[in-house]
Amino acid sequence: MVFLSELLGAEVVDVGQRRAGRVRDVTVTPIEPYPLVTGIVTSRRQALVVPWSEVRTFAAREVALRVPREEVSPLPANPDDIWLARDVLDKQVIDTDGRRVVRVNDLQLVESGGRMLLVAADIGMRGLLRRLGLEVVGKRVARLVGRDLPIVLVSWDAVQSLSDRSQDAVRLRISAQRIGKLHPADIADIVEELSAKQRSAIFESLTDEVAADTLEEMEPEEQVSVIEHMDSERASEILEEMPPDEVADILADLPEARAHEILGLMEKDEADDVRELLAFPEDTAGGMMTTEYVAVSVGLTAQECIDALRVLEPEAESIYYVYVVDEEEHLRGVLSLRDLIVANPNTPITEFMRREIVSVPLEASAEEVAAVLTKYNLLAVPAVDDEGRLRGIVTVDDALDRVLPEGVKRRLPRVR
Amino acid sequence: MLGRLRRFRRLWILLAVIGPGLITSNADNDAGGIATYSQAGAQFGYKLLWVLVLVTISLIVVNEMSARLGVITGKGLADLIRERFGVRSTTLAMLLLLVANATTTVAEFAGVAAGMELLGLSRLLSVPVAAVVIWLLVVRGSYPVVERVLLSIGVVYVTYVVSGFLIRPDWTEVLRASVVPQVVPIRDYWLLAIAVTGTTITPWMQFYLQAAIAEKGIPNDRLAYSRLDVILGSLVTDFIAFFIIVATAAVLFGHIRPDLLGNLGAADYARALAPVAGPFATLLFAVGLVGASILAGCVVPLSTAYAVTEAFGWERGVDRGISEAPAFFLIFTGLIVIGALAVILPGLPLVRVILLSQDVNGLILPAILIYMLVLINDRRLMGRFTNGPVANLVAGVTVVALITLTLLLLAASIPGSPLTG
Repeated sequence: MVFLSELLGAEVVDVGQRRAGRVRDVTVTPIEPYPLVTGIVTSRRQALVVPWSEVRTFAAREVALRVPREEVSPLPANPDDIWLARDVLDKQVIDTDGRRVVRVNDLQLVESGGRMLLVAADIGMRGLLRRLGLEVVGKRVARLVGRDLPIVLVSWDAVQSLSDRSQDAVRLRISAQRIGKLHPADIADIVEELSAKQRSAIFESLTDEVAADTLEEMEPEEQVSVIEHMDSERASEILEEMPPDEVADILADLPEARAHEILGLMEKDEADDVRELLAFPEDTAGGMMTTEYVAVSVGLTAQECIDALRVLEPEAESIYYVYVVDEEEHLRGVLSLRDLIVANPNTPITEFMRREIVSVPLEASAEEVAAVLTKYNLLAVPAVDDEGRLRGIVTVDDALDRVLPEGVKRRLPRVR
Repeated sequence: MLGRLRRFRRLWILLAVIGPGLITSNADNDAGGIATYSQAGAQFGYKLLWVLVLVTISLIVVNEMSARLGVITGKGLADLIRERFGVRSTTLAMLLLLVANATTTVAEFAGVAAGMELLGLSRLLSVPVAAVVIWLLVVRGSYPVVERVLLSIGVVYVTYVVSGFLIRPDWTEVLRASVVPQVVPIRDYWLLAIAVTGTTITPWMQFYLQAAIAEKGIPNDRLAYSRLDVILGSLVTDFIAFFIIVATAAVLFGHIRPDLLGNLGAADYARALAPVAGPFATLLFAVGLVGASILAGCVVPLSTAYAVTEAFGWERGVDRGISEAPAFFLIFTGLIVIGALAVILPGLPLVRVILLSQDVNGLILPAILIYMLVLINDRRLMGRFTNGPVANLVAGVTVVALITLTLLLLAASIPGSPLTG
């Protein structure tokens, strides 16, 4: 086991103990899960690499070659290889185990079956002190105050590299996308710590579904910034996976031409829903509502209604209430899932649906909507137009988001 | 299209990009700036104007470099230094930044103390209160709201421009002094020349400006807007600086006994506003000084804490809390405590302390500029956006000039040397 910092600057000696240069960098080829060391860079400027096959021992302070220095055949660097000191050391990476952004203070290499592998990143204080040549001092000081100075490592199979250069982004895509396996809420937390360019690189690597879920978990300003930095084609694909009310909120904050372009690229049905929502001012029931709700026709029986739900496969968020509407979309009643399940399958739903419906007009303010939701203990409230037609629902979380003062939201504990 | 979109502003792109440059430059005319420019005018008349004109050129070039680094890399300066130069050079850069910014924070508190003393309030009261207020403003997250209030207080300094015209200085002399170098080869002159440079192009500003621009995530094709932002900001800053020197020179230079020049106080500087504000000159000056000092007193410790934690990869951000981001809070709080404690001693000559802090900034600036020059000429990092020959020349000359000034200062400080005044 050896740390990269101990190797950098080490003397390279040939089989006859004669000097053959210094270690300027170490190259690896990005294979999973642990990158394989391919050679030693002896001249950064000329990008000359001594292949790993010519190295006999590989230890701190000295790297011994198998051959006399006259027979060393440095090769031009392989453009696909990663240079550890240049490309990884000191850079920010994501620790997907700890779900945070960290900086690589050092890298740990381990020999295994004649091969040298990059196994871990040192992200702790001890790695920093080692780089400063103060590791021993640091350990002594720590001992004086009765603490030890642990080496904090992140296994390389939990490291997600970051990049902000397009040529690197291609290379990184070859390596596994570890961040895509995290919960979208965690991905959102992590990417909010990144620069706009790194963030774009991460989003580029996520699938449309994961990208959409992640975007939903982010703060409104951050959502806009992510979409802004994306090409419109990709943005439209991601937005199609999101509920129309959220899409409308994001598009409303984009420059108009850009919003039009993205809407034009989205599927027509989705785009129409969004256009409808965009017509309402942001802080009204119309602006807050989503058009993803479950509405069934007034003439169904309980069993037909359940069958209809199976076909619709509604999102979890919108299935709290099943709304009953007539042919003109007038809101006639509301059912809970419980009502449906306990009812006799052949009973018409009109016989057990609740007719005294609480609803809000489209123009209702955020405060009014929140007041209705709390007063009647609802998870969502339908929004209806002047003629009593159902246009959407406002869920309690969206309403809460609008009425909670910024200060309160900030003081909520961070959930890790 | 529809209601919500139509509300959106035509100038959307410009507004999204504009900001960091103008805000930074406004914060740049802080306690250090006001004291330095006032002293320059009072002690040497127009003889430092040519320095300010040259410094403006390098301010524009250096700020443009910051903007370009921020837009193209999307990263802060501390981040880039760490990634490009490794741990050792980063530690050196961060130690220099800490020293420069600690002295700047001291200057901001001295500005608060001096301003409040003009209003008859003891520094024993004003400084601790200011320290607590600054800490709470930032930690409670109410800083962005207050920033606007503080920035608008900065408008007070436009009165210098009015004052400068009302005094009717000899404009041919002013113009001549702006382009024809006049040197007074004494120690105080070198000190002030370094201070004028160090207060106009401050190390902290390069970190703050680049971080603010990087945070906005401005796409490469909008670099032009960002350039416009910082160039306008630089011009506004130095336009006001120019008139501070002109107004104080016209009012004070030659009207004060030479042996008192070294011990001028805030009350003397305030007289430069008398032509416009009459009996309210002191009040106006004090309000402006306190507002600017508190603004910079928030920005400098905060941006230092961000820079250092970013460089070393430690947790950061005020919303993280002390337990999650201890280093961040330690640096931020530590700078405020140092700044407040340093000026609380009764009888401490506040203006001297402020001027000295600007010299420390001037001495450290070349090192920071060298880091920036290496970074911005790195083709791997900047691609086709590396520095052109003109930018390299101006920035290089600034570095060499500052080092030369420092050597001249050292030579003038040796007793019996021919340069001693």
